[in-house]
Amino acid sequence: MSLLAPIICDNGTGFSKIGFAGNSDPSFVFPTAIATRGGPAAQSARGGPPIPVKPGNLASKRGVEDLDFFIGDEAVANAKTPGYGVHYPIRHGMIENWDHMERYWEQTIFKYLRAEPEDHYFLLTEPPLNPPENREQTAEIFFESFNIKGLYIAVQAVLALAASWSSSRVTDRTLTGTVIDSGDGVTHVIPCAEGYVIGSAIKHIPIAGRDITQFVLNLMRERGEMTAVPPEDQMKVASKVKEDYSYVCQDIVKEFRKYDAEPYKYFERYDGEHSVTGRKYGLDIGYERFLAPEIFFNPEIYSSDFLTPLPEIVDDVIQSSPIDVRRGLYKNIVLSGGSTMFQHFGQRLKRDLKQLVDRRLEASVISSGSTRKSSGVEVEVISHKRQRYAVWFGGSLMASLPEFYNFCHTKAQYDEIGPSICRRYQIFGSAT
Amino acid sequence: MILLESHNFVIYNTLAEKVAKPSSLDVVFVDFDGVRFHMSTPEKKTVIQLSMNIRCWDELAQYGALDVLTREYGSLITAATEPEYNVTLQVDLEQLPAEADGREAMLKSISLMKRNVLGAPFELAFGEQKKLEDSGSSRGQLMQIHYRDEEAIYIQAASDRVTVIFSTVFREETDRVFGKLFLQASEFVDARRPGIQNAPPSIQNAPQVLYSNRDPPLEIRDLPGLRHSEDIGYVTFVLFPRHFAKSDASFNTISHIQLFRDYLHYHIKCCKAYMHSRMRHRVSEFQKVLNRAKMEAATTERKTVTGRTMISR
Repeated sequence: MSLLAPIICDNGTGFSKIGFAGNSDPSFVFPTAIATRGGPAAQSARGGPPIPVKPGNLASKRGVEDLDFFIGDEAVANAKTPGYGVHYPIRHGMIENWDHMERYWEQTIFKYLRAEPEDHYFLLTEPPLNPPENREQTAEIFFESFNIKGLYIAVQAVLALAASWSSSRVTDRTLTGTVIDSGDGVTHVIPCAEGYVIGSAIKHIPIAGRDITQFVLNLMRERGEMTAVPPEDQMKVASKVKEDYSYVCQDIVKEFRKYDAEPYKYFERYDGEHSVTGRKYGLDIGYERFLAPEIFFNPEIYSSDFLTPLPEIVDDVIQSSPIDVRRGLYKNIVLSGGSTMFQHFGQRLKRDLKQLVDRRLEASVISSGSTRKSSGVEVEVISHKRQRYAVWFGGSLMASLPEFYNFCHTKAQYDEIGPSICRRYQIFGSAT
Repeated sequence: MILLESHNFVIYNTLAEKVAKPSSLDVVFVDFDGVRFHMSTPEKKTVIQLSMNIRCWDELAQYGALDVLTREYGSLITAATEPEYNVTLQVDLEQLPAEADGREAMLKSISLMKRNVLGAPFELAFGEQKKLEDSGSSRGQLMQIHYRDEEAIYIQAASDRVTVIFSTVFREETDRVFGKLFLQASEFVDARRPGIQNAPPSIQNAPQVLYSNRDPPLEIRDLPGLRHSEDIGYVTFVLFPRHFAKSDASFNTISHIQLFRDYLHYHIKCCKAYMHSRMRHRVSEFQKVLNRAKMEAATTERKTVTGRTMISR
């Protein structure tokens, strides 16, 4: 029997990326949201799912409340339908509500992927520092509810590293490197040594996609551009500006001067249409273009409580990792997630980080008083085409290898040992 | 979502996306019953090639799948089938109907490809029933479609009915129990039992369903190679002319009956998920009880007879 392609399921806080191994893009990307009967309030007050009321004739008990739900885009579209409440079962990358998540997967597999779970291997992802209990729960759901053939749960950061192998700049396929994963809610900087995450050195930055959009919105409001835009569309316009027009500059002062000297060359025009009335409006996009991603490098322009620039955080992370992997970590800094998609983001990060490192090396040369010079540390930031869905793509890449099946835990093994088998997964790719 | 839909989301979404903005493409995906699809743009960005591999192609072709495909897709079918696949369609995005409605219908019909192929033997059987009714002979040929490993659909036309038998294997003990309960006790067999009050008329009109565990039903008992084990179940549908006399009724019947196996397995999974959520709820309730039952630390001061305080260290 020919094996069917494994299913890659990357459930993130904001969006789920789902598809089949071997493809270069996920087949489905939709919000990790589930709309169920009974709003969030009703659910918590009653607790637990409803029980069919009267005993007796089974056929008369046509309670289908547990089947009445929507996921993904449909859930968001039904947010306003009376009787439905939207829930987000994943918070901060970790699954909080297992009931909802189980049903979410149910519909993902049967409605969207149209696959029989019995015939497929699954590759799921987990955030760094995911407690092993969560992994067991996940395994329980997948093996016992869905009877899947085999399961592999991979750490997102490791998959992001694997995804960077598609870049032509990567010569040796290692799983050592620093991953900067910036999605919608939070940005992580995660060091990995040979496929293992160095948990103690991970750092989080409370600035991510959502903050950038908010920042763009603030800027445009201050300049008075947003007056033409209807309030309900403002957020959408701001995120459009962020996604389509923004880039990272190398020097803010110079960039400002450039814009002031030749505004017609650099200012862009955005034309939109009111989503309800169809009225047309237009606005000018100016400094936002380069200021938006600047909040990674100069956070003080946006927030007052988080002030450390991204390059410094990356440097901190690497400095707090074991000394023997630091060179590898500097040499292979990999970007992943939608908020790292800005043009020249990698170059800027590399330049700033290189400066930090070189300055420290110089200082240590001076303080040691020796005349010998260090050979320097190689700093390399890798950006590639698959950055947006890097984690998913890494999964697709890994699962399309023939060895993948050897690394999975199979149903038979699960039945033999139990969920605790999923506490450990063999790192793959490192051995080859 | 109670019913599964019969069209394939990936085909529909991808085509709709590419109609809006053609770009190069190369994806593989699946559908129920181990059907594999490959969608690619080998030559031009505007010409999408969609290939399908279905396990029981030879049997289906024998029962007229090609005719159905030709009827549905006409010139889209290419002579050069992609290796490893059974059928290849070529969709030229530039030649799709210009108006939105026509294009929509076209995309929908392409995404129903698997349904149409698998629908061929049903259509054949419905046609045969008509002939048998006119000629008065009793029984038509027994068609077998081995659509999965170890599982098959058997279709036989008779002068007054069409019998469809599914065999399904439950790999898991729990699944078998659920399946049995589902098929025998609650949903299908009982639902039609006379005497159930206020059953909606649609249920009364539904085809008769029989379920047998282990032993194959009489119609197919003499076939070679049937398994007699605990984990196999046979579901028999008896379709009467009212289910397929009108063309839209027969369309719906075919769509639904094909998805029956997936429907069944989906609902077994849903049942389990429901059970699990009840269990989780109960565990957390018990945990609350346990927490309440914890002895409070004795806070009263203990004193000796002489009035001195005992302090535990």
